[in-house]
Order: sequence, then C-alpha cells, then structure tokens
Amino acid sequence: MAKNKDLRIVKLTGGLGEEDSIRIEHFFSELDEHIDLPMVSHDMLINHFVKAFEYYLDNGYKPDKIIEFLDISNLGDYYKGKKRRFFFLDNAAIVYPLGMKFGQMPIFRLSVELKENIVPELLQIALDFTIKRFPVFSAVIKNGFFWHYLESTNNVPEINEENDIPCKPISIILRTKSSIRVLYYKKRISIEFFHVITDGNGGLIFLKTLLGEYLRLKGIDVVKNNGVLDINEEPKEEEFVNEFANEKGEGDFSTFVDKKSVQLSGKLSNLNLTKIIHFKLASDDLKEVSKKYGGTVTAYILSLIFLAAKKDSIKKEGLFNIQVPINMRKFNGSRTLRNYSMYFNASMDLKDVDDRSELVKEMGKQIKEKGSEKLMRQMMQTTGKLIRSLAYVPLSLKIPVMQIVYGYLGNSIIGCTLSNLGMIQADESLSKQIDSFEFIIVPGKPNRVSATLVSVNNTTVLTIAKANRETVFEDEIYNLMKEDGLTIEVEGSVEYES
Amino acid sequence: MNPKIIYPVPERQKMFYRNIRNLFRIIFLISGAICVLVNILVGGKAWSLIVVWSLFSFWRLVFSLRLVEFSIYSHAIKVTFYLFVMMVLIDRFLAPGWAETVVPIVMFAYLLVMFVLFFVTYDKKEKHLVSIMMLGAFNLVTIPYSIHSWPIENWIAFAFQCASFLLFLVMIIVNWKDIIYELKVRFVAKTR
Repeated sequence: MAKNKDLRIVKLTGGLGEEDSIRIEHFFSELDEHIDLPMVSHDMLINHFVKAFEYYLDNGYKPDKIIEFLDISNLGDYYKGKKRRFFFLDNAAIVYPLGMKFGQMPIFRLSVELKENIVPELLQIALDFTIKRFPVFSAVIKNGFFWHYLESTNNVPEINEENDIPCKPISIILRTKSSIRVLYYKKRISIEFFHVITDGNGGLIFLKTLLGEYLRLKGIDVVKNNGVLDINEEPKEEEFVNEFANEKGEGDFSTFVDKKSVQLSGKLSNLNLTKIIHFKLASDDLKEVSKKYGGTVTAYILSLIFLAAKKDSIKKEGLFNIQVPINMRKFNGSRTLRNYSMYFNASMDLKDVDDRSELVKEMGKQIKEKGSEKLMRQMMQTTGKLIRSLAYVPLSLKIPVMQIVYGYLGNSIIGCTLSNLGMIQADESLSKQIDSFEFIIVPGKPNRVSATLVSVNNTTVLTIAKANRETVFEDEIYNLMKEDGLTIEVEGSVEYES
Repeated sequence: MNPKIIYPVPERQKMFYRNIRNLFRIIFLISGAICVLVNILVGGKAWSLIVVWSLFSFWRLVFSLRLVEFSIYSHAIKVTFYLFVMMVLIDRFLAPGWAETVVPIVMFAYLLVMFVLFFVTYDKKEKHLVSIMMLGAFNLVTIPYSIHSWPIENWIAFAFQCASFLLFLVMIIVNWKDIIYELKVRFVAKTR
C-alpha cells in the first residue's frame, strides 16, 4: 500500500517545483499520521485527498491554497482509532427496525439543487470532514437483547454518483457500514437517511452543514448559522437527546387507534417507488392562493390531496386519512438531531370532499385541533408507555409480534402522508448558492402515494412519490393548482420499471 | 403534464431474487402441507416433521437473512441452531440412537472452525464477538445431551463437550473486557 501511495503522490507532484512537491509530500505524511484505520479504509481516505488535490491543481490552484482548503485538522481524531460509543434508539425510531421486512426499509431523501454542477472530489472531502460532527449519522444499527441500538463507527464514508431509483433499501447496512447514503447528480446533492437515526429536520441540518463545508472547499465562505454547524465543534449532548424520554405522564392507547383508510386505486408496484414528480411553485403565489381560501399552505395542499384522492379512488365514500407529521421542536426549541416528530391524521369522508374553500377551512381546523401541542404530547406519552411496557420483552419475541401487528395495521390506517418541512432558513451566503430543496418519502405499503413540501428562496417544491403506475392523482393536483392560477414547473423521474 | 426529467434513468430493476423468493415460498408451503397430510393419512413415523423443519430451515437460512448485523458469524449461529434441531428431530422421530455422540462432535467441529475464523479476522473482533460467544454458549446447551451417559457409555461425546467448553473459556479469558462492554450495552432494557 505504501508503494501505491508513493506512486500516487509522485504522480501528483510530477509537474510541480521542488518546494511545492516537498510541501505536498509533507502534507500526505502528516495526513498518514492522522489515520489509524484498516488498510483498505486507510487507502480509500488517502485516495479522496489525492483526487481533491488533482482537481485543485487542474483548476490552477496553488499548493499553499490547496493545503489551506484541505487542512488536516478538519479530520479531528475521527479516523484515528475507534472510540466506541452507543446510542439508544429514540421512541420514534424504535419501531422502524422491528417492522422492517425484506426489501422494505424506512428511508427518506433530502436533496439540494445548486446553481452549478457538483464537484465530486470536493463533495467527498466535505463528507470526510463533516461526518465527525454527527456521530449518530455514522452509527450502525445493532441488536441488543431487548432493543436495537446504534453504535458509532469511524468508517470512511463514500459518495456515489446517482444511477438508481431513489430511496432503495440501504444494502450497506447489511455489512454494518453506515446508515446514510450520499449521492450526487449534475447540480444535485442527495442524502438518503435510514429513519432510525434522524427525521427530516435533523437530516436537514446534516445536509446544510455538509453543503456549507462543500462550498468552503469551493472557496465560498458560508456563515455558520441557521442550521449550518461548525464541523470542528465537539458534538453536543443536546443533539443526541431522546426527547420522548423527557415526556412524563400516562398516555392513552386510544390515540393510536384509527379506522382503516380508503386507498387510492391502481395495482401496487413490486418496486417501492415507481415515479417522482416535483411541482415547483413560487412560495408567495402559493401563500396568496392559500390565503384566498382562508387557510395555510399545508391546509391548502391537504385539500388538494383530498380532492385528488377522491378522483383517483374507486370508492367515492369512506374515510380517507392523511398522515401529517408535526415537528415537536417548534414547541420547546429542542436541538436534538434524533427523531422528534409526532403526527396526526387529517381525516375526511370522501363523500364530503367537494368544495375546496370548505375543505381548506376544515383542514385548518383539524391542523389546529389534532396537531395541537397538548394532543401531540399525549401521543408521545402513549408511545413512552407502550415502550416501557415492552421493555423487558426479548427482542427476538418483539420482532415477530411487531411484524404481525405492523403487517396488519401498518399504513392501512392512512391513505397518504404529507410532510411539510416548511421554509428552510439559510443565511444569504448559503441561500444564494441554492436553487431548491427537495424531500422524498417513500410511500409505505399499501399506500400508493406520499407527498412532501419544502421551500427555500421563494421556491416551494411539492413532491409526489408514487408506488403505482396510474397518473390520475398527480394530474388532478396539477389541474387544481392550474385552476387556481399557480405557475408550475414540473420536474421528475421517468416511470421506473421492473 | 410533461415533466422535465431530472433523475437518471436506471437500468430495468432486476427482481430475480424477489421472484425466486416468492416462487420458493409457494412451493415450500404447498409441499410442506402435502407432506403433513400424507403422513397423517398413511401413518407411521413422523417423517413430515423433519421435512417441514428442513423446508423451514432452508427458507430461514437462504431467503430470510437478518436485516441487522448480518455476518458470516451471525449466520453461523442460525445454521447451528437449525442443524441442532434437525439432528435431534431425526434422532427422536426417525432413526434413534446416534445423536448423543454425533451432536457434540458436529458442534465441536463447527465451533472450532468459527474460532479459527474469528482469530484470523481478529481486527474485526468487535463485529463478531457476540455471535461467536453465542455460538459457544449454544454449544454448552448440548452438554445435557451426552452427559447423562458419561463416562463409560459415551466418553467420545463427553470429550468433545469438554473441548468445546475449553474453547469457550479461552474465548472469555482473551476477550473479557470486550465481553463486559457488550453485555453492558446489549442488555439495556430501558430507553432514555
């Protein structure tokens, strides 16, 4: 390996003067001292730096500047010997691995579309530097006797060019390597997260911090605020907190119970995802239209989903439930990066789904009532109670029982999900580099569709992720928005085939 | 509505494993049910129990892999367990009288191979320690199988049991610090 490394560095310094060559060789020998990993990982990390050097040199950067960009101190001691640390799963995450089946894994994706093409060499280094700040994100899931848990690793993370269906199960988890997948494609950086480690809001902080570091490596300084963390800061305990455990009180199991929801028509595909559609809208216009109907953006989009669901469903009556996650951080300002969301079901009988104004008002009312802090806290208490009652049941018993329960109930009590990450706060230094954010949640079986909303720089992206081949649902949403005078830019994927 | 394609066009998804899995599920369920039915109708020894266990073992070992912490070691425990039950079933229901000797020998051989593998890949011991400890512990479960006839009638089995126990002991002594850590972490029942 040493010989290979020398060759790579010799090649790198080939056209440079003696002084610059010595400087680069010194850099790599110092880098070598910062790494204490198995041979393959060691070699992989060195290679990341060689490629970054090549990129910079090809683009006319001077070695002094490159060394400043790639400052080894950014690695910290993450790659220098393994420090074992474990994390309990939070109360929301605890259920995910219990209900997991072959080919099904709870994964979501956050993407950012930049104004320029991604430089993979720099994105890789940005990830190598950033991961140490987020020990939970580099952790792998393990089996305890009673529960699953997470154990930190110092594995070298790797980025990949996107060439497959989004949100496929993270197969690397089988080899206990990582719980995230970082991808790039043209101007887009995407991160796919195994839901046990974080939720959308935690994932967003990781994405923004990674983006901040990537832009620094490109010579653009980004102010470290609004969710862009300092990668060289020690991870804070408050970021690992399982906020559910701080919720005391006796919940009521009835908060979990709901009637089965009507499902959209069309055969479920063998694939978890058949198509992605992004509706890009001007945030101001969307707010204006929502206001016209007397509601918020979430209430307006919910009403569109109900109308589209009625059109797409064979049954024209019966309860249709839309699961709406609520970010609990807004109630207590928690800084946890773990899962900290609860949800409520926005419900309507499809026979009453008709007038849009009435629907928006009804949705506004349901958001206020069902999504209230009091009810969300009650639900958290119920979750806590349930978990406490199962604490001493061995995991090997919990898994089959949960798979039966999950298989029976699962997502059948909902017909769709709408997750709104809201307006992404970003400093001007960051926001002017961004075109848009995108957020994808894979519909859980038997749901045919899931929807997400995220906004930045006056661009709101409504994403529809499909698990069937019919197009009635998204066509209806599009037509309804057009009727309301919204200007829509439609982007998406081809229809995935098996 | 004509969306602008902003995602790469992936290759057609290969569903070979999924399709094979579904096919085998149907074949196994039907053949298992037929065997049980024929066995009940024809009578005689409970051979269908062994057939059903074989089908179930095959399913679990080939088509139902662990999703968390899968490794050759964790899979080895699974194989040991299914193999052990299979031998016991054959001994009890089909051809009695051999398992008392054979079970400890097979188990010891299995343990020995896994221990050698473990020490060859010792730098990854954290990943495999628990699996190998469970394999060792499981081996001890087989002791009662031979001990009742010790020492005159089944000294071979007893000797292999002792060897297995010694291997297990060596493992504990060499890795006791890691074992204590693993026990502390893995046996936590309360979430916080």
